[in-house]
Amino acid sequence: MITAISWRNIWRNPTRSLVIIIAVALGLTAGIFSVALMNGMTEQKMRTAIENQTSHIQLHHPEFSVNKDIKLHLNNKAEIEKILEDNPAIKGFSSRTVAGGMLASSRGSVGVQLNGINPEKEKQVTAIWQNMIEGDYFEGDSRKPILISQKTAEKLEVKLRSKLVVTLQDSEGEIVGAAFRVSGIFKTTSTTFDETQVFIPKKALQDLLQLPAEIHEIALVLNDLEQVPIIKEELQKELGESVKIEDWKEVLPELAYLSDATVQTNVLFLAIILVALAFGILNTMLMSVFERVKEIGVLMAVGMNKLRIFSMIVIETVFLSVSGSLIGVLVGVALIKWTSQEGISLSMFAEGLASWGVSDVIYPTLSAGFYIILMFMVLITALLASIYPARKALSLNPAEALHGLNN
Amino acid sequence: MSIIQIKGLHKIYNPKKVPVHALNGIDLEITEGEFTAIVGPSGSGKSTLLNMIGGLDSPTEGTVIINGVDVSTLSPKKLIDFRLKNIGFVFQDYSLLPVLTARENVEFIMQLQGRKKEEFKKRAEELLREVGLGDRMDNRPSNLSGGQQQRVAVARALASKPKFILADEPTANLDSVSTSDLLEMMQVLNKEENMTFIFSTHDQRVIDKARRVVSIVDGKVAEDIQVEQEMAQ
Repeated sequence: MITAISWRNIWRNPTRSLVIIIAVALGLTAGIFSVALMNGMTEQKMRTAIENQTSHIQLHHPEFSVNKDIKLHLNNKAEIEKILEDNPAIKGFSSRTVAGGMLASSRGSVGVQLNGINPEKEKQVTAIWQNMIEGDYFEGDSRKPILISQKTAEKLEVKLRSKLVVTLQDSEGEIVGAAFRVSGIFKTTSTTFDETQVFIPKKALQDLLQLPAEIHEIALVLNDLEQVPIIKEELQKELGESVKIEDWKEVLPELAYLSDATVQTNVLFLAIILVALAFGILNTMLMSVFERVKEIGVLMAVGMNKLRIFSMIVIETVFLSVSGSLIGVLVGVALIKWTSQEGISLSMFAEGLASWGVSDVIYPTLSAGFYIILMFMVLITALLASIYPARKALSLNPAEALHGLNN
Repeated sequence: MSIIQIKGLHKIYNPKKVPVHALNGIDLEITEGEFTAIVGPSGSGKSTLLNMIGGLDSPTEGTVIINGVDVSTLSPKKLIDFRLKNIGFVFQDYSLLPVLTARENVEFIMQLQGRKKEEFKKRAEELLREVGLGDRMDNRPSNLSGGQQQRVAVARALASKPKFILADEPTANLDSVSTSDLLEMMQVLNKEENMTFIFSTHDQRVIDKARRVVSIVDGKVAEDIQVEQEMAQ
């Protein structure tokens, strides 16, 4: 009966209840949508980084990540590649030779990381071939092709088929150089990546470095991202300590921090919204209690104990909060579903977003688990917001309350 | 058999600042089956006395013994339970829960007592029929007249099977027809079920029906008159 009384009590003043229900609903819709937008950006940044840079897992010489010395190449290449080929969980892998160097045109020069790749194998692990905006992905007949980003092309003031000179230090410590011709220009969503990475055929780079057939890095992609920890452990057992195996989080730790920080920021952001809403709910419930002083006095007089009165006020508060929250969540889910199909264009912030590694079209997304956390937070908020009004109700003296007085 | 014994009852409000002596040594005994009116001018202390008898307020001095229990010594928690089991309340403005129907208002008290569903449903219907509202059970208070609401209040007060019913100015908001009907109903309950009624009232129509009239003036019993039964009829 107390539940029924509580539910009916909140509709005694429908306007007041609707106002707070709508406020809660709007607050949560806005909160959920903002969080989904943030999640969409973070996920996109992570996906872009995995697709273009890290892949799921990378293999290096144990000291290569600390000291990018080109002499620290993988020694047992053939054995490693055989193990990777035999593992059914691995979708594809690409062996790379990498080195830092200088890229120069007649108009300027930039420092870059040169990635010597096998174009066909690279297609299995990165999406550079899908990001070509001019030219082609090593498909022409150019003898020394180089893929550069649009940003680099602008900096060096070059275009398709322009000549670029690559200068670097070979394995003997000698400065060597070679001319390449721009065969393709790419553009990813990450400005940082675009400004620092160029791609040439693996053989060309190995020749320049005087490291015939040597590789520094193997990037691999699994059929299922969730399997990364298991496969990483499996490979470590098979390959031993001579190979350092890192997952994408270890290759780019800032990405892992970003993922964790986003969850924490989202929870904090929603907590702030809920605290603000809690004061609205508290105000509504206080008004409701003060309007019913005499009625509460009657309930006390006829034998309703304090626990039941306390429960009645708490249940009313929970009903108010949960009704608003459910509406807010439903609207939020609908909004996310709607916008996640086409994405939201933030083209006016394109440059800023690109420097952060995100495209100007964001696809909001939110996991089911977050809604559970959210409803739990709403429940806690409602319970906290109900304590003061409920205590006010309990502090009434029945004899005084019966005459409409409150202390 | 005496169900209420009041001895040397004093109540002082604001004892430290501006003391107001609401009750100044009341001694009173009420026996089972009485139909008693407590009368007196405004501010005489009759509502305070009713609050003390109902265990809603505690005395500054003296004792209120109901059914052998000194209610002034009970903790607030025990007092609520005591009220629920022993005392039925009827208020001047009916004080029904507006969100519940007549039936639910009566059932609610029995639910608080923890009675079984079949039992409280059956008793609520019986009581509402007894007070003449068999056809208005599912109406909310806002759809009932003042007289009908007060009948529901009486049914609610009876629902807990109390030892006595305290009625604070029960007819103050009723027209003469409703007052007459209500008093007649209460007299029947008093006579047939030996239910004890204690009223505080200004209403001469109620005083005329009472079998005992206790007059309170300045917080003291000024007069205590036993009316001849025939006259009260």
